[in-house]
Formats: sequence, structure tokens, C-alpha cells
Amino acid sequence: MAQIPLPIRLDIYARFSTFVAGENQVVLDHLLGISADQRAQILWIWGPSGSGKSHLLQALCASENDSGRSAIYLPMKNPGLPGPGVLDGLEALDFVAIDDVAQIAGVSDWEYALFALYNELLTQDGCLLMAASRPPSVIAFSLPDLASRAAGAVVYRLEPLDEDAALVALKEHASCRGLELPDASAHYLMRHVERNMSALCGSLEKLDVASMVSQRRLTVPFIRDVLEI
Amino acid sequence: MTENPAVCPSLWPQCTRALKAELSEQQFNTWIRPLQAVEEGSVLTLLAPNRFVIDWVKQHCLDLISAELRSAPNSGSASVVLEVGSRRKLSATESRNPPLPKLGPSEPKVIGSPLNSLFTFDQFVEGKSNQLARAAAVQVGTNPGHAYNPLFIYGGVGLGKTHLMHAIGNVILRRKPTARVAYIHSERFVSDMVRGLQHNKISAFKKTYRTLDALLIDDIQFFAGKERSQEEFFHTFNALLEGQRQIVLTCDRYPKEVVGLEERLKSRFGWGLTVAIEPPELETSVAILMSKAAAEHCQLPEEVAFFIAQRIRSNVRELEGALRRVMANSRFTGQPITLQFTKDALRDLLALQEKLVTIENIQKTVAGYFKIRVADLLAKRRSRSITRPRQIAMSLAKELTTHSLPEIGDAFGGRDHTTVLHACRRVKFLGETETRIAEDYANLLRTLSG
Repeated sequence: MAQIPLPIRLDIYARFSTFVAGENQVVLDHLLGISADQRAQILWIWGPSGSGKSHLLQALCASENDSGRSAIYLPMKNPGLPGPGVLDGLEALDFVAIDDVAQIAGVSDWEYALFALYNELLTQDGCLLMAASRPPSVIAFSLPDLASRAAGAVVYRLEPLDEDAALVALKEHASCRGLELPDASAHYLMRHVERNMSALCGSLEKLDVASMVSQRRLTVPFIRDVLEI
Repeated sequence: MTENPAVCPSLWPQCTRALKAELSEQQFNTWIRPLQAVEEGSVLTLLAPNRFVIDWVKQHCLDLISAELRSAPNSGSASVVLEVGSRRKLSATESRNPPLPKLGPSEPKVIGSPLNSLFTFDQFVEGKSNQLARAAAVQVGTNPGHAYNPLFIYGGVGLGKTHLMHAIGNVILRRKPTARVAYIHSERFVSDMVRGLQHNKISAFKKTYRTLDALLIDDIQFFAGKERSQEEFFHTFNALLEGQRQIVLTCDRYPKEVVGLEERLKSRFGWGLTVAIEPPELETSVAILMSKAAAEHCQLPEEVAFFIAQRIRSNVRELEGALRRVMANSRFTGQPITLQFTKDALRDLLALQEKLVTIENIQKTVAGYFKIRVADLLAKRRSRSITRPRQIAMSLAKELTTHSLPEIGDAFGGRDHTTVLHACRRVKFLGETETRIAEDYANLLRTLSG
């Protein structure tokens, strides 16, 4: 009889300790130093999907919270997010992370709300970290004041992981899920799933559930069956 | 009383453990992390930044939190309260800026945003583009209410208007620590007023603003189209001016050019002194970079400063962003800042600019700006309405790309390189003698290199 997985969530995964930096060590070092630096900071990280932007934003939220500082993570692609009013009062927090910020470009109410938040955070020594797939200078903000402020952020490009680093990251992710991922299976996933960490981790999540239901190990034939490769 | 979720010994950490197990990581980071727990007696108060967070937590987590509280040992009849609020951040800004003197009991105690004490006249790098604005601001800071009232500073984004405004406020407070100075962004003025109306506290709002010693309002273009706010601001403006209190305003354009602003306001803005801040020339940009680096105790070679300033011309804010990035790279890699190091640190930014600034892109942008067709720029026509934009486009191509004069001539309908040279000289001459041409050229330069 198949086992029904319990609706229990994973413990928090997106931490600095589980981030495989690859060529992004400078970005990681900068973010690790944010808590210690009490001054206002505006940062923008950009890179292709799966390069680790959301991971870093959430890791910083967790790390700030662990140090007793208040933080929030707002993914702009989340359809469940209410209107721009959700940005009200965030200047009272120590750290604000806004993911997929390009989503609000051209949406007047959101742009004004982000502009106001930027101004308030700056005067209250808060930290604003934004992430997008492109750098601020090419995002089509309709409010010039917001565009210029975004362009004045410290901008970092996240480089996607090379094959070796991606393999390490994949195994790290599996280990966080309590899964044993043999080398042969990891290589198989790397060869057959789209080569970015979002896609790889998404596949791993599917495999996690399937393996629990069928009580099977992550062998290559099992992976092939589940992912229908 | 326990104020910090990280050190709270009992109830809240237990609740967060249960919530972590129940919510997705994203939900936890969005809705639970911003909560600040305060335990007092048997009441757990959760402070949220706004009502949206409260609504979400109430809808999705309140039952679970209540259940956890009930199951906690010795918690007795513990209850949870959700409200909008915050433990105050003990920040460098707060310690730098004492709050405004207390007002009456019904009035807000703090108006606007704190002044940034790092924005001083000493830190403001002066150049041809901003010296008049700086001189006027110094006068206003040392002689508020009398020198120029109102002082209206206008110019493009990121050129230092806000810096000057804060510097004025800082000087006024240094000379008279009991002065009631409020720095506020016009958006915030509008939202404070709306809140005052909603909560029936508009008279307190009026009194608060009309009894200041100095009111510094940033970006007044955001008043455009907001009639009720303009009406209120008009009366505040009059009251302050009558009492010889200082008003400083900034805007992204000349007051008469703000569409949606009442004529009576536009006219009053011109009663004092209106000064412009222009984009900095190359030498001023270099001086700004050197000054910012020195303030951070960073050794910035002059050739690096020139390199950055030559490539980033749109505004000072972006210039500073690039410098901060270079300094951060140097700090975290332990390498000294050299020209090659800077090129590596900014490589994606520079690559992007080179991609954007092509002759073709310049032609399209110039044609769009002057509302003519690209084909006109390439054709043989020699009417002034076409010749002038063509000369400007050629001059921009020379300045912003690495193409040679013959290559540029080729790209403009097969013209000779001497035609390009003549165009560059002509634009330089006209820029010095005709303000309009200088403005057009500066606008296009900003658009293309921004």
C-alpha cells in the first residue's frame, strides 16, 4: 500500500549555509556583512532564473531575524500578494527583500509605494535588497525618480553555477530534504533536467514526494519513471 | 517584558516552530518574519508593519498560534493580540537626530523623516553645475526666513537636490537646536493629510505644519493633480511665509512647467529664489567620486575616478552606486582598486552601456527626440530642422562610441569624415552660445548613457 505523505513542511532550507557560491563569493560576503553594518544600504542582485536570487534574499531574511532584527521577504510574482499597501510601514523593519521587482515596473501605484519606501528606509538606516532577472538600468520603471534610485543601488550580477558547483548544490539540496542522492542519479538529473537550480530543485521536490509514497530510493530508473524522461 | 523574537524565552519561539512546520518557507518569510513579539504578563502582542500582514496572519495563523499558547506549559490563560506597530529601531540616524521638540498632546511628535546628518555642505562637491544652488542653500541655512524665501531648487533626478535640502536643515538645527525643522517628501505630506482627514485630525495636522520654523518639502512635482493637498499646502505655505518661517522646495523641473499644479502655487513658488542644478561636468563628477571615496577611507586612483565618470554620466546617484560597487568588490576580495580591477568589477554595467550606445541607437533616439524620421538623418536634405539634429547625432556618436570619424560619416548616409568633424565643432560652438541646444544635447546624452 502506498504511503500518504504527511502535510509537514521542510525545515527552512534557504540559508547562507546551504548556498553554493561558485563565482558569487563577493556577493555572498557582502550580504553576510549587512547585519554588522548599521548604515542604510540599497542593493540589487540580478541574474537568470535559477541563479540563486530568491535563495539569497530569503537567507538574508532568516539571518537578520536570527540576529534579532526584523525582516520581510516579498515575492512580487506571488499572486496572493495584496496591493501596494503591503509596502506601508515596512520602513520600521531593519531589512526588506523584494524579489522579482521588475514585475511592478510600469504599475504606477506600486512604483509610488516602492519609491516612498525607498526614501523612508534610507532616512531610517534600513536595508533594501531587490532582485530581478535584469539590472536596474534596463527595467522600464515609469517613475524617473524610482528608476534613478534603483540605478544608484549597489548592483551585483549572480553568475549561474558551473557544472561541478551545480552538482554540489543539488546534493546539498537533497541532503536538506533528507534524501540520499547517489552520484549516478545526480549526474543523470544534471544531464536530463533543464540546467538551472530552480528546475533541478523542482524535480527533486517531485522525486521527494514520489519516493516517500512508493518507498523507493532515488535510482536512475526510478527518476526516469517519475519525471517521465 | 520580552521584546525580541530572537531572545524571547518562551511563547513566541514555540509558536514560530509550529508555524514553520505548517507554512511554506515563502509564506513564513513574508508574513511571520516581519512580526515583532512583545510578551507582557499573559498577553503576547504581535506588532505588524501594516494591516495587510495582520489580515493574513489572522486568516491563516491565528488558530494555530492560539492553540500553541494554550498548550504551552504554565501559559495559563495566555492570549494573543495583533496590532500595527513597531519596536523603534535604535539606529544611527536616530542617535544622530534628536526628535523634534514635543507639541501639544493631540499632535504628532515627529514630523516627516529624520535629517541625514551626513548630508552637509562640506560633503557637497561644488562645480559649475551646482554652485549657485549651493550658495543659495548656504545663505538660507544661515539666515532662515530672511535670505530667500521660498528657496526653490530644481533639476533632474539624482543631482543633489535632497542633499542640499538636508544640509540646510542640518545647519538650521546646528545653529538653533530648538528650531522645529521638518523634512518631508511631498508624497508623505499627502498621505499624512489623507490620514488626518480620515481620522478627523486635520486641525492637528494643520497646526503641526503651520507652526514650524522651517519646512523642507522634497519633489513637489508629486503634488500635481492632487487638488485637496495643494489647497492645504497653499494655506500652510502662506502661514509659514507670513510668520517669516523658511520654506525650501525641490522639484524635477521649473515650477511653471509642472503640469497639474495650481497657478497660484506656481506663482508663489517664484516669490523667493529659484535655482537650477544641472548634471555635473566631468571634472565635478571626478571630484564627487574622490570625495565619496575619501569619506569611506578608500584610496581611489584619479584615473579610476575619470574612468567611472566618463562612462556614467546620467546622474550622481548612479555614479555613487558604481563607486560603492567597486569599493565593495575591493573590500571583499582584498584587492586594491586599479583600472583593470574597476573594469572587471563593472564589466556587466559597461557591457550593457556599450550594447545600448550604438550609432543606430543614437540615430533612433535623436530622431525620436526631435520628432523626425531616422531616414531624414541619413538623407541629403539640408534644411535646418534636419541639419541640426543630424549634427547633434553625429556629435553624440563621436562622444559616446569608439567609432572613427569616417565610420560615423558612413553610418550617416555615406558622408565624408570632414562633415562629421564640422558637425562636432558646430555643436560645441552652438552649445556654448545657445541654451536650447545645450539643453537638448545634455538631455540626449543623459538618455543615451543612463
